[in-house]
Amino acid sequence: MALPQEFSDLEPFVANWALPTRAQRYEARLSKPFDELVTFYDAVASRAEEAIAYLNGLDIDDLPDDATTLLHLLYSMILVSYAVNVFKQNRIPDSGAAFFEMVAEPAV
Amino acid sequence: MTSIQQRLSTGRGKFTTDYPELGTAPVNYEDSISEEFFTAEREAVFKRNWLCVGRIERLPRKGSYFTRDLPGRLASIVIARDLDDTVHAFHNVCAHRGNKVVWQEHPAEESSGSCRAFSCKYHGWRYGLDGKVNHITNEGEFFNLDKNSLRMPPVHCEVWAGFIFINLADDPVPLRSFLGDGLLPIEGYPFEKMTQHYGFSTRINGNWKLAVDSVCEWYHPPYVHGRFIDPDVAKAEMMVPPVDSYHYELFRPHMLTSVPGPPPLRAREPGTAGPARQDQRWVYKLFRAGLFGPDDVPDIGLDNDGADFLNRGNIASWGNDQFWLFPNISVQIWARGYYITYTYWPETVDSHIYEIDLYFVPPANAADRLAQELVVDSTIEFAMQDVNTIEATHSALKTRAQNTFHLSDQELLIRQFHRVIRDTVSAHQSANSTREA
Repeated sequence: MALPQEFSDLEPFVANWALPTRAQRYEARLSKPFDELVTFYDAVASRAEEAIAYLNGLDIDDLPDDATTLLHLLYSMILVSYAVNVFKQNRIPDSGAAFFEMVAEPAV
Repeated sequence: MTSIQQRLSTGRGKFTTDYPELGTAPVNYEDSISEEFFTAEREAVFKRNWLCVGRIERLPRKGSYFTRDLPGRLASIVIARDLDDTVHAFHNVCAHRGNKVVWQEHPAEESSGSCRAFSCKYHGWRYGLDGKVNHITNEGEFFNLDKNSLRMPPVHCEVWAGFIFINLADDPVPLRSFLGDGLLPIEGYPFEKMTQHYGFSTRINGNWKLAVDSVCEWYHPPYVHGRFIDPDVAKAEMMVPPVDSYHYELFRPHMLTSVPGPPPLRAREPGTAGPARQDQRWVYKLFRAGLFGPDDVPDIGLDNDGADFLNRGNIASWGNDQFWLFPNISVQIWARGYYITYTYWPETVDSHIYEIDLYFVPPANAADRLAQELVVDSTIEFAMQDVNTIEATHSALKTRAQNTFHLSDQELLIRQFHRVIRDTVSAHQSANSTREA
């Protein structure tokens, strides 16, 4: 799973964060140490606007694999942003055992 | 009052007093913790009213079907689209010896797909897309079979605005009569364009009505969701709209609340989000979306002002309309071109299944797609905070240390909702006792 060449600096995050389903991304948010969430967020956030511009130049319904991998990193960035920026911890405070199963999500 | 609050305030005064039949007295919550009430509620409310079981997009072609095991063993049904495009619902029960007909791999899991006939895995009886039997294995070995009347037992099923409803009563009122003038106009909304679907489900250890209560009022956000607004509660309180900026409408048994929301961010050139920051406001700016929707609002074919069936109270800075369809679903139509449904299925007096379904137009590009992702994630982050509050409330109510509770004007919909449920139960009970007498 390679990234488009101009985003190769984000390769170290692909294995843990370029995940195709929200359930996998949420599991990553809960299971990684908080410091890793922050490191990941900082790395992707600094390239995010370029990544959005790059992806906008492609057909969303026919993305090459490397672009899909980049998109998945951005999905994960959104999901960890609440932990990093709002809660300063992986879990939502006071959410206890609460958890939503995902029963439907778009293919891309 | 802050400047935002001054701008939204209407000075209209209280709503509850417009509905003198509701009174203003404290409300008894035994209806949320009593086993006996739960049993009666199931009969009077859930077995006798129209219940939404999904969207028509789940049946994309002739022969499409899906199953629904309604929680609490309310019913196990199949919904299918036949070769004439009629939508049928029937119990997922074989007319031969009661086996569950439609399932794959695990009988407790839902299944869906496309077929011309349903075949029972037990003895090979087959049923058409309307649930009627069309093949009986070794038919000649049976005695006095009336093949024309054999079928998976039918369930009343009607479709409105693309929402599929079922009714377990023998002879229900037509769906449109049930929905009435308060709800029918929203069928003008382009629900069918919003095919980008995200679905979530969870079990909550609390009575279903307490979960409805939690999203019927806009009194709790600075406390339950304070971290999103401002970690300093005093500041969070200043950020929320004033109590008179909302609109409430009761059209029994259904109801509506309209909610103000922030205007979309101004359009900006790509590359102007500024350096990355550990600040959620920067994330919202980057992806151009937030809890109230995407900032680049899609054209969904409505007028600029929306439509006359939306924001009926003409509130300032309209954010969304939440239409409550009695008994257990709300359809929340957002100003920024998407909608969410919230559905509550009681299992026991102490638990329910909570479903959240979000629907958007298909994204035109990655930026649209990412904005939708952010809206979805924000909605679920907020919902997770609500869930645990419901469990905490339920466990405390169960102690019966206190039985009646004070409801403010902002909690008008809660007062109405519990009243309609209790009235529905007592009307059903008195009809039954009249019949028995």
